Amino acid sequence: MPWIETVLIYGAIPLAVFLLFAVLTLVPGHGKDKTRYRPGQPWDHEPVWYEPHPDTAGVHGGGHADADAGHGRRGVGATAAALAIGERPHEADTEGPRRTAAGGARGTW
Amino acid sequence: MTQQLDSRGSSDTRDTQGSVVDETRSGPVSFRDLARIDEALTMSSRETGLWFTLYVGDLGADTRSTAEALHARSGEDTANSVLVALSPGQRVLEIVTGSAAARRLPDRACALAVLSMTGRLGSGDLAGAIINGLRQLSDAAGHPSHRRH
Repeated sequence: MPWIETVLIYGAIPLAVFLLFAVLTLVPGHGKDKTRYRPGQPWDHEPVWYEPHPDTAGVHGGGHADADAGHGRRGVGATAAALAIGERPHEADTEGPRRTAAGGARGTW
Repeated sequence: MTQQLDSRGSSDTRDTQGSVVDETRSGPVSFRDLARIDEALTMSSRETGLWFTLYVGDLGADTRSTAEALHARSGEDTANSVLVALSPGQRVLEIVTGSAAARRLPDRACALAVLSMTGRLGSGDLAGAIINGLRQLSDAAGHPSHRRH
């Protein structure tokens, strides 16, 4: 075969394949996740508090969750519903917000 | 997913109940991770009957007391609620359980979840840490019907 054909087959085709993969992997911004967290960098996002979907069934024990599904949240008793409206409990909590935490754990990294 | 965007200020999950998050805003996690976190939160809450909430943000100087104050406002039924609070800037992770939740999630189980989460957080895997931590917590808590006697 002529030498130009040899160069094309053994030189140009591998080079084309090489360049194709090079472009695919080195395309700027690809695979670089901007939102990725790296330990040690400052965290300047505003605080976010996520909670489950409000229609989570069975948070108060599955049985009567369906009856309260219309309220969109967990079933609350009469007292809790009244408190939710804005009434205070009859025992005045003078010492500010009561402590609700009973346990847990903490860790650092 | 509902979320509270205000910081430690005003406080009520009822304010944002049923609201839809504006997801056009670029947040700390990608949308795909956000969906996975959402599913993990919802599924673990549904399976265990506990109310799992997740706080990502600064926790102040006294991280534990801040996390406990957040837990006190984490819902209507704080006894059954579990707060996973992490502050990536301070590299602190706090898990706070309510009085009823603490019976099903003893401190040892929480510490185990914290341990696996901090391992992933140390390598920068924020969403993976959250998802696996929630999975571990819900596995430890079990299903409510199995605990009812």
